[in-house]
Amino acid sequence: MQINIRHVAKLARLQFDDSQVEKLEKQMQDILGMVENLPELADGKIGVDQNNPMILRQDEIKPSLRRDDILKNAPKTEAGCIVVPKTVE
Amino acid sequence: MELYERSAAQLGKMLRAKECSAVEIAQAINDRIVAVEDKVEAYITLAGDQALEQARAVDAKIAAGENLAPLAGIPIGIKDNICTKGVLTTCASKMLYNFEPPYNATVVDKLLKQNIVCTGKLNMDEFAMGSTCENSYFKKTKNPHDLDYVPGGSSGGSAAAVAAGEAVLALGSDTGGSIREPASYCGIVGLKPTYGSVSRYGLVAFASSLDQIGPMGRTVEDVAMLYSAICGHDPMDATSVHRDYPDFASGMKDDLKGITVGIPKEYYGPGVDEEVKKAVMDGAKMLESCGAVLKEISLPSTDYALSAYYIISSAEASSNLARYDGVKYGYRCENFDSLTDMYEKTRSEGFGDEVKRRIMLGTFVLSSGYFDAYYKRAKLLQKQIADEFAQAFKGCDVILTPTSPSTAFKLGECTDDPLKMYAADICTVTVNIAGLPAISLPCGKGANGLPIGMQLIGSKMSEATLLSTAHCYEKAVGGFGPVPKLV
Repeated sequence: MQINIRHVAKLARLQFDDSQVEKLEKQMQDILGMVENLPELADGKIGVDQNNPMILRQDEIKPSLRRDDILKNAPKTEAGCIVVPKTVE
Repeated sequence: MELYERSAAQLGKMLRAKECSAVEIAQAINDRIVAVEDKVEAYITLAGDQALEQARAVDAKIAAGENLAPLAGIPIGIKDNICTKGVLTTCASKMLYNFEPPYNATVVDKLLKQNIVCTGKLNMDEFAMGSTCENSYFKKTKNPHDLDYVPGGSSGGSAAAVAAGEAVLALGSDTGGSIREPASYCGIVGLKPTYGSVSRYGLVAFASSLDQIGPMGRTVEDVAMLYSAICGHDPMDATSVHRDYPDFASGMKDDLKGITVGIPKEYYGPGVDEEVKKAVMDGAKMLESCGAVLKEISLPSTDYALSAYYIISSAEASSNLARYDGVKYGYRCENFDSLTDMYEKTRSEGFGDEVKRRIMLGTFVLSSGYFDAYYKRAKLLQKQIADEFAQAFKGCDVILTPTSPSTAFKLGECTDDPLKMYAADICTVTVNIAGLPAISLPCGKGANGLPIGMQLIGSKMSEATLLSTAHCYEKAVGGFGPVPKLV
């Protein structure tokens, strides 16, 4: 199994240098070698637990977290907003 | 016997009989932490002063004659992936090195309402990925039974703190064995509850369909008390189950008459050390002597479980961990030339190697052209494994297996060999895949003097039977070993 590490890394928003790519390729191949033994099973229904269906909660207005408390964790803020690099030219 | 060596049940009785105060208990744990933490390194963040303050409040309530919850005044440590308001919650990652949650996890709110004393936040493998606690960005926790060995993982700090007397009880989380394996390596008791019985609100997500918070302690009764304190429906967790929960600590039986113990041959294969097999079979005989009937059973898909587990858990992890982008909270890289560059550098610098490996694996199995071959097949197998367990439980009440194929690894033994580390999960992952409850109990020691653990698996929501069976075993063997001296 050939894995295009650079392509997968791009999808995952991760950067690796050449030596890391080489090491990761070997490790990923070992791991995929392990997981490739899965048997072919008849197509069945997969998804939520029928005995415990998830219930959406009501869309009610309730007290929530305070903006200032949440922004305390942001790496960079200005005037109550989170600062990020320019995204639109 | 020192206060730090006592169980939560004993300490609770002493508090009510006014034989000691909550401050004395909290101080005893603080002193023990001062004495051994340099060697064990179980904690990422200590909360000693806050613990004393909480203990003083408990003493005031006792003096005022208030009727308190069973765990009031008991020092409990919390794994560092469970959110604690205003107290660092790092997931043992550089990515969250400075994260102070603006809210408490539901389990933390529940415990604080019951007036527990929080000792601090416990070390773990980064984002709960690993079986040795060596993947922590901050420190390597040691096994209190032998400091050259790992405590197991990912809840390694939780297991080591409880085993070393640095906490009376601890909360861990279990996605593929992360409560049971370290409990086994450190010679304590750990329960992975039925999926949906404990709220996951405020648990930093690894693999949401498999993650579950659970209790760890030195006796089955203590674990039952902590489980009773944290279980129950929570509207903040959409997968939380509606049902009535009994008081697990008071409902335990004295014998195992009428209990059939299934022994699945697939869990005793060549990958499991002989000394582990022998210790677990000795455990089976002990259960038999308490009145249980042993029965050989078969769970044929066990061999594929590890593969299904690594596909499903990595796929969910790659999606869950996409949120760490350096924008809203956590680590942000310093130098970047665009938004994408900021995302990539933040994630590459903020995550450790094991986390990156799993994100890569998960991204790959979900990527175009590979989804059906990996993820879909794994999900189909998940259903087959759950069906096999359901079938098996028609003929037995609990299933007995080893918790881990061996005793603890030496520090550094699998740092560069992920497959070796993954193989340690072979006996535990099936339980998460099927959403079942399971408990790990000490059942002897290996030639290296380190604890061996056995696992009892139950059907969904059968915690009462599991805890009762485990309690009978504990009584029959005369309790589980003393706290190691370490000083």
